[in-house]
Amino acid sequence: MKKLFAAALLASATIVAIGAPAFAAPVSYKIDPAHTAVVFIVNHLGFANAVGRFNTVSGDVTFDKDAVQNNAVNVVIETASVDTNHAKRDEHLRSPDFFNAKEFPQLTFKSTKVERTGETSGKLHGDLTLLGVTKPVVLDVTFNKEGVSPASKKETAGFSARGTIKRSDFGMKYGVPNIGDEITLLIEAEAVKS
Amino acid sequence: MNELLNDPFVQSSALPLALGFALVGVLRVAGGAAVGRRIAVAGIAAAFLAVFALVIGVPALPPPSSMGKLFWSAAVGLALGLATDTVGLRGRAASALVAVWLSGSLAWIAAPAIASAADVATALILLAVGAWVAFGRLPSRAEGPAAPAAVLLALALAVGGTALIGSSASIAQAALALAAATGGFLLWNWPVERHAWGVSGQAALGIVVLLAAVLAFFTQAQAALLLIALPAVLADHLRRRLPLPETGFGRAAGTAAMTVIAILPALAAIGAAYLLTGGEASPY
Repeated sequence: MKKLFAAALLASATIVAIGAPAFAAPVSYKIDPAHTAVVFIVNHLGFANAVGRFNTVSGDVTFDKDAVQNNAVNVVIETASVDTNHAKRDEHLRSPDFFNAKEFPQLTFKSTKVERTGETSGKLHGDLTLLGVTKPVVLDVTFNKEGVSPASKKETAGFSARGTIKRSDFGMKYGVPNIGDEITLLIEAEAVKS
Repeated sequence: MNELLNDPFVQSSALPLALGFALVGVLRVAGGAAVGRRIAVAGIAAAFLAVFALVIGVPALPPPSSMGKLFWSAAVGLALGLATDTVGLRGRAASALVAVWLSGSLAWIAAPAIASAADVATALILLAVGAWVAFGRLPSRAEGPAAPAAVLLALALAVGGTALIGSSASIAQAALALAAATGGFLLWNWPVERHAWGVSGQAALGIVVLLAAVLAFFTQAQAALLLIALPAVLADHLRRRLPLPETGFGRAAGTAAMTVIAILPALAAIGAAYLLTGGEASPY
């Protein structure tokens, strides 16, 4: 009887051990500004698209590739770092007409949810705060790679994100529709394990 | 039609001129013989707000930015002007109301940006100009509206030109729209001065002070150069020294001359701003 009980106990423990899911712990990463690009594209008078970027980006990523619900992203962008390769235009972009950098020195993104859509793709839901206005946005995210970077020798994770927003939703209405309302976002980011 | 309304030049000149002219006329008729004469000048601020809403949009309430605060402050000024001019309030009481509104609006707009001695000095200068707006042009004076309107036109031009050169197109458009709306008012009051200036006129002058405040505190524009435009406020004093007869022609010529005299310092301020940028003005 005792042997039967012990065997049953061992079997149960084995089944539990095999059946239990492997809970990977979320890992904290810091955005690597040297290998991160936040680019925007906006239509200019219908002639062509103007391209710009923000040069000062910081933030952190909590990444768990096995449990996407644990993933989180927090990004802070200095609005005065806007750069469209034209000094006068950049000065205009920093003015109250657009980013109003003196009153709103930062724009932020804080994730609220991540949903997986494929093996390495997902939708990143979050709150974007621009000009003091917070609105939900959704970005299409691709997880590119994770591992030790041969360049820095540090554990690195890389992502790409794409999305569109309407700047007028955030109160940035100047110039619409001559200067496009819809802004396309291209984000390429590398984050280094903290 | 949409393309025309979206043209920045039309938005800053023809549209506010037409709107100002029309709204002054509408208020004059709507108010009747006695009240209409007093409230017609509110057409300037009303045209300014309409163009602001078209070009920049109606800001949220509460407004997150200084431009939003400027819009809502101007709206309060317009309401204050209409209410006090409708009942015919004049003298120190009217001036006190303008002073409270303008100083409160200045504090609301500028306080978050004051971080240095230079900012404090800028705020004090703006308050001094505001005090002149409130008490230096008492609505009870018997003089016609052309003199303060010419001063408003000149100061708004100065702010608009300086803002345009300083890469702040929305402030430029708003200020130039205010100047054009004032032009619409002046079309009704030249060569014969038909309307009163009143608190509504003081409110319009206050709006140009608020525009200067946003320019000074929140842009890279050379707002200090606006000091060059301040002698415009003395234009009507110079008018009295002109050797012109006290006839209809003399008064009309005097108004025209005074307007030119008022605009000269404004042009000097704009010219100085242009030179300081190395002769390179926006847009790009």
